[in-house]
Amino acid sequence: MSTRFDQSTTTTCGYCGVGCRLEAHRVDGSVRSISPAMDGPANKGHTCVKGRFAHQFARSRDRLTAPLVRENDGFRLASWDEAIGRITEAFNKIKAEHGPDAIAGLASSRGTNEDCYAMQRLMRAAVGTHNIDNCSRVCHSPTSFAMRSSLGLSGATGSFDDFEAADVALLVGVNPTQGHPVVGARIKQAAINGLKLITADPRRIELSDYGELHLPMRPGTNAALLNGLAHVVIRDGMVDSAFVDARTEGFDATAELVEAYTPDAVEGITGIPAADIERAAHLYGEAENACISWGLGVTEHLYGSEVVQLICNLALMTGNIARPGAALLPLRGQNNVQGSSDHAALPDTWTDYRPVTDDAVTSSFEERWGVKLKRERGMTIPEMFDAAVEGSLKAMYIFGEDVAQTDPDTAHVEKALDSLDFLVCQDIFDTETSKHADVILPASSFLEKTGTFTNAERRLQMVTPAADPPGSAKTDLEIICMVSKALGHDMGYESSADVMDEVAEMTPRYAGISHDRIGRTGLQWPVAKDGTDTPILYTERFEREGGLARFAALPYKPPGDAADDEFPLILVTGRRLEHYNAGTMTRRTENLSLLPSDTLEVNPVDAERIGVKAGEEVTVRSRVGEIRLPADVTERIEPGHVFTAFHFPEVRTNLLVGQSADVNTSCPEYKVVAVSVESVRSPGERPQPAELVTA
Amino acid sequence: MKVTVDAVEVEVEEGTTMLEAARAAGRYVPTLCFDERMAPFGACRVCMVGVEGNDAPLASCTTPCSDGQQIHTDDETARRIATATVELVLSELPAEPEEHTELAEVARALEVGEPRWQGVQHEPKHDARHPYLAFQHELCISCGRCVRACDEVQGAFALTATGRGFHSNVTAGLDSGFTDSTCVTCGACADTCPTDAITEHLLLDLVGDPAKDGGPQ
Repeated sequence: MSTRFDQSTTTTCGYCGVGCRLEAHRVDGSVRSISPAMDGPANKGHTCVKGRFAHQFARSRDRLTAPLVRENDGFRLASWDEAIGRITEAFNKIKAEHGPDAIAGLASSRGTNEDCYAMQRLMRAAVGTHNIDNCSRVCHSPTSFAMRSSLGLSGATGSFDDFEAADVALLVGVNPTQGHPVVGARIKQAAINGLKLITADPRRIELSDYGELHLPMRPGTNAALLNGLAHVVIRDGMVDSAFVDARTEGFDATAELVEAYTPDAVEGITGIPAADIERAAHLYGEAENACISWGLGVTEHLYGSEVVQLICNLALMTGNIARPGAALLPLRGQNNVQGSSDHAALPDTWTDYRPVTDDAVTSSFEERWGVKLKRERGMTIPEMFDAAVEGSLKAMYIFGEDVAQTDPDTAHVEKALDSLDFLVCQDIFDTETSKHADVILPASSFLEKTGTFTNAERRLQMVTPAADPPGSAKTDLEIICMVSKALGHDMGYESSADVMDEVAEMTPRYAGISHDRIGRTGLQWPVAKDGTDTPILYTERFEREGGLARFAALPYKPPGDAADDEFPLILVTGRRLEHYNAGTMTRRTENLSLLPSDTLEVNPVDAERIGVKAGEEVTVRSRVGEIRLPADVTERIEPGHVFTAFHFPEVRTNLLVGQSADVNTSCPEYKVVAVSVESVRSPGERPQPAELVTA
Repeated sequence: MKVTVDAVEVEVEEGTTMLEAARAAGRYVPTLCFDERMAPFGACRVCMVGVEGNDAPLASCTTPCSDGQQIHTDDETARRIATATVELVLSELPAEPEEHTELAEVARALEVGEPRWQGVQHEPKHDARHPYLAFQHELCISCGRCVRACDEVQGAFALTATGRGFHSNVTAGLDSGFTDSTCVTCGACADTCPTDAITEHLLLDLVGDPAKDGGPQ
């Protein structure tokens, strides 16, 4: 076949957790076009506006191409030797004066498994602390916690193929056509071809238009809805008793608890009509094979991890698990949210979520690396910021995360960053966070590195470089290894394949994983030593002691924030199709001309009350901050709620989000923020606290 | 069940099309309107094959196999129909298709030379309003692949077949261009287009971008 390209490389998309396989086409040394790989197991020859088109960022003129060090009030270019010299000097001094736990690192859910594993090894072995975390803390840590607690393992029980094999799918707090567009397209096609879809979301999402039933719950009332569905399933005899008896424990306590969650009671809490709750329970409960999928609309709440356990309850009581078409499929946000956590970039666990408190496991790493390690967990991201403000954390090494834009309570995050004695940022662009750095290291995008990403199906897929990092920028793995060696711990990796070999050697459930075996179509963990992977989990037993899954009897509790007279509306935040998270990449592409700015979605009823028309500027005020943006008047959002995204630094949505977080995992409660919205032109316009509205 | 394609015997499942059987047997059948991501359409008549016991050739992409069938991909009548069809398609284009396109590939495989018929050719009509996607309407051969990709792969329902006969073409929205349609910029249409009637500006830049010079605005 004749071609216009110098070279085409098959790799894995670096945007969301779907894990599309892509062909990256190179001309004159840079990637000029991307098309879908026909044999990609998750995308099957399809892509989206991000994966296919938003690659210009990689060639952007403002890529970081050389290390930068702080000098006076600004930065100047530096050699790698000087930049790394500054890091080792500062880290060694802080270690000597305050101990290794005064230093913390963040790995990135954007990086490869190999990058993340090396990053945690850097913090644990070279620095000597378990203070390592990654951005899955602020998105799917509740999913991970809950699935481990209910079922045993931290991952989807099946694959996206299950949507096509299912009769019914329940989507809770997830908007796939915007957040995970290729899976969104697959679900939409499945719905057109007969899949009965139930959507539960405060907003009427696009897939609701293709579904049987839409359940618009009040933000923060997911637990009541799920207990209500369980109530009807039990009351109307839809329980799979044989499955419950043979493979689970704790059903009776759950059955007893949900007795009080009658459809009428649940309507009172959630605002969903009782008849719709009955109908949804029957659709799900009577299906031959049913899937449940959820996203951050479930996890980013005060009781997010509990709601994921309630989702597991529903699947367990109907036996809708461990078969094709019967699966639990959390849609993971970033390309490697799954893998960064699988690969030990967490303060409390080793690879495969084995706790650092487990002496045998920690000893095995001590032996492998020739170092001494603590048996107590390190700090999570929110704890790191608190410790920095309070003064006990002195330095941070942040790789591939813009915490000053994406983490909640921006003012608190910035105060934390300013309180540090020393901050290293490793990124591909200047970010809101790197403004506070002492050393900035220029890294590589997913188009420029080798390694693996693990998608939302637990599938490890190869990332293969299609271009070189710009200027003197280096791959993340190279940089981490260099810093580690300078700190006196030579990891000895010659390639990213070596890193994965070490992971396989140290991790029984990943024993058969290697770059060679991953090949073109990937491997879904667990992978046995002989290379056999596991597309469907729990076909024989659950991975808990005794092999049984566990019901969790958990009541509904109100969210951390609630509307009141001063803040009468509830703000929900989320993604938009054209942009990706902090927008660092997509805002540097033509996607910006497709969606140049953000808006606040307001229901017409509220818009009239506030006195604002579509397109007019409004002020959104919460208990902790205030922002301004134009209003979009739409019936997609229910009265009483407003919605916006968090892609634009000029809006800085996260100034509004407070410190409330999931009880088990400290994942922030991004999805329920009480706000007041006022037209900037209204007569009683309140004066703005200017220091909070930084453009 | 078993079928034989050009003397190669293959075991196929009930419902397998003749095109799938031919590909399973490792035989080449040219196609224009077929894309494995979508349901078979049977519009282009280029995938014709001969079947023993059948007087006329059949469109292999839409015809299911039956047990014991003898299929010939090199059937003379089938090839003649396919070649003439491609020749007619080419005769309507103002220029030869770009070498990398599927249409050019099929024309090479069928050894279609300069078209024997010199009829009316499409006038260039370009639309460069979208930041990524470009229309070159004169290259549209009405295979329907873009419309079906938009419907059956993405589900955006942004594209529509328009016009009749020689004036058949494709349009986004109510002839409003991609940006003002329900298009979600997934690129499935550009990916499947066998002629570059829908393509990307970035790719046209590699060969000089006529769409950018001659847009309607």
